[in-house]
Amino acid sequence: MWSRTFAGLIFGLLISISVILNLNLTLPIQEDSMLLIGLLLAFPIWVGIQVWAYSFTESKKAWLTLFWVFLPSALLNSLLLALR
Amino acid sequence: MKKDALKAITNAHAWVGLIISTILFIVFFAGSLSLFRDNIIAWETNPHFSSDKNIEAFNVDEIITKIAQNYKVYDHGYFVIDFPTKDHPITNTYFEELSVDGEHIDRNLLLSANGDIVGHGDGFNWGNFLYRLHIDLHIPEVGLYFVGIITLFFFVALISGVVIHWRKIFSKFFQYRKEGKKDKWLDAHNIIGVMGLPFHIMYAFTGLVFNLLIIYQISYALLLYGGDQSKLFAAAGVVDVHQDETNVDLPVTGINDLLTTAKKSLGQVNITRLSIDHFGDESASVTFRGHDDSKFSTQKEVTYHIQSGRELYLTKDNYDNNLRGGLSVIASLHFGNFAGYSLRVLFFILGIGTCYIILTGNLMWLDKKAKLRREKQNQLGLQLVKAMTTGGFIGTIFATGVGFICARTLPLDMLSRSDLISQIFFATLFSALIISLFIKNQSKFSALLLKLTALTLAATPILDWLLVSKGIAAMLANQHYDVLIVQACLLCLALCCWLVSAKLFDQQIADENPTDATTSDANKLSYSAQ
Repeated sequence: MWSRTFAGLIFGLLISISVILNLNLTLPIQEDSMLLIGLLLAFPIWVGIQVWAYSFTESKKAWLTLFWVFLPSALLNSLLLALR
Repeated sequence: MKKDALKAITNAHAWVGLIISTILFIVFFAGSLSLFRDNIIAWETNPHFSSDKNIEAFNVDEIITKIAQNYKVYDHGYFVIDFPTKDHPITNTYFEELSVDGEHIDRNLLLSANGDIVGHGDGFNWGNFLYRLHIDLHIPEVGLYFVGIITLFFFVALISGVVIHWRKIFSKFFQYRKEGKKDKWLDAHNIIGVMGLPFHIMYAFTGLVFNLLIIYQISYALLLYGGDQSKLFAAAGVVDVHQDETNVDLPVTGINDLLTTAKKSLGQVNITRLSIDHFGDESASVTFRGHDDSKFSTQKEVTYHIQSGRELYLTKDNYDNNLRGGLSVIASLHFGNFAGYSLRVLFFILGIGTCYIILTGNLMWLDKKAKLRREKQNQLGLQLVKAMTTGGFIGTIFATGVGFICARTLPLDMLSRSDLISQIFFATLFSALIISLFIKNQSKFSALLLKLTALTLAATPILDWLLVSKGIAAMLANQHYDVLIVQACLLCLALCCWLVSAKLFDQQIADENPTDATTSDANKLSYSAQ
């Protein structure tokens, strides 16, 4: 249980930051509104990922699946930040 | 959803719920009481200083002159005055005093409605103690984030609970089976959980924003603004109206005139607080803050340079920033200050209902583990959870009851009065936890402690009328009902504790000792036969 907890905690946080960053870098919305939208979405994403992590019967599978979800979003982050 | 995944989530729901249960209970219980924080502060303070003075006579310039005459206000420190209201005529001023040794002393003075300094506010902190218990458990530095993590897992428990219950969420909406204690607990857990779901989600989300916002703040500052936090603050609507100090002394005067100007500039506003920067320096500025009662959550603020009266900053709409506006809405939702008492009563009931959800969750887990074969049971774990449930949950309510009694009975001139009340609270809570660790018959102990808690809570209203009846009568004559509101809350809690003890634990004791019940039934039969 602890392993899945940490998988959800770590990847939930990373995925939420990464997804919100992509939204910030792509959507043409006013800066303050975008920060608010990010705030409203970030915690539910984190919590959703945490619940998803608990749905795996094996912790290794949870770590791997969440990593593969995080990776493309993180790559898009790098690309968008580089093009900025 | 696959059966295995659902089973894994169900196990996780029970596990997460169990781990966070004691802290979450304390946070929700203290939070429910904190909805009436202003009333609790007034309950503790006002019977001793009850005032029927007109709040229109509150003269800021006179107050500042009195303070400047009696204290050396530190000009780099803070200086705040809260304005009195018709409901709360006794108010506070907070500032830093510079001592002869060069030390900074935090001052908190009580002001009457006509601006007289009537006492020191440090001794009347019971309402604030409960509020801080709610937000950071009084753990320095990391308490806020610790409670944030607990709140995150509360949100996880909510969402996982919805996932587990989803297929039955409508069909079994009103299901409550009276037979079988586990079914009864499960149904109570589900009914209160589902009915209060919007409330729970709102509290989980807004609590997270308050306690863990810093995580996203840091990541935004690093990734979006290249590590420049000032850029993030500017985008987030944080306004800096700082004026450089001139180091030329200038007495603070003319604040009443600036207050009149502020009211005109801000339009529809209820000004609640003023703060002064660089008190006593030529560069000093005053800021008036308030909110528009006709709107859901609109903060207004204006800052003036005191010497020239020049306006330095004005906002009539949440700092003209959508993030600040959004955060203001989140705060209003969390504190329930966008409506009257009926809303706070509803939030209070739902908050106490959440405490019941946490309790039933633990009881179901204990019941499930107790049914396992002895060799499969982890005796230490079982005893620990029992102690957390008995000592942690009931101990928190009991310690709160003891705190209320102390807040009413301890002498007002006692040194470190508020600190002593906090120490008594924690000593009571930890004693309850430790005793419950060593008690074998937890059901009997729970029933007894709950009844003792009910008596402790009910004792406060009696002590109120015995010790400060004149002050309460004066408050009531001025239509200030804070004491009655607090007493009603305490009596409701006392009744809940007594009922839970009688219905939940007495039944459990009877179930655990069927021989006693049979004997007593036999006795009854023999008596009736006689």
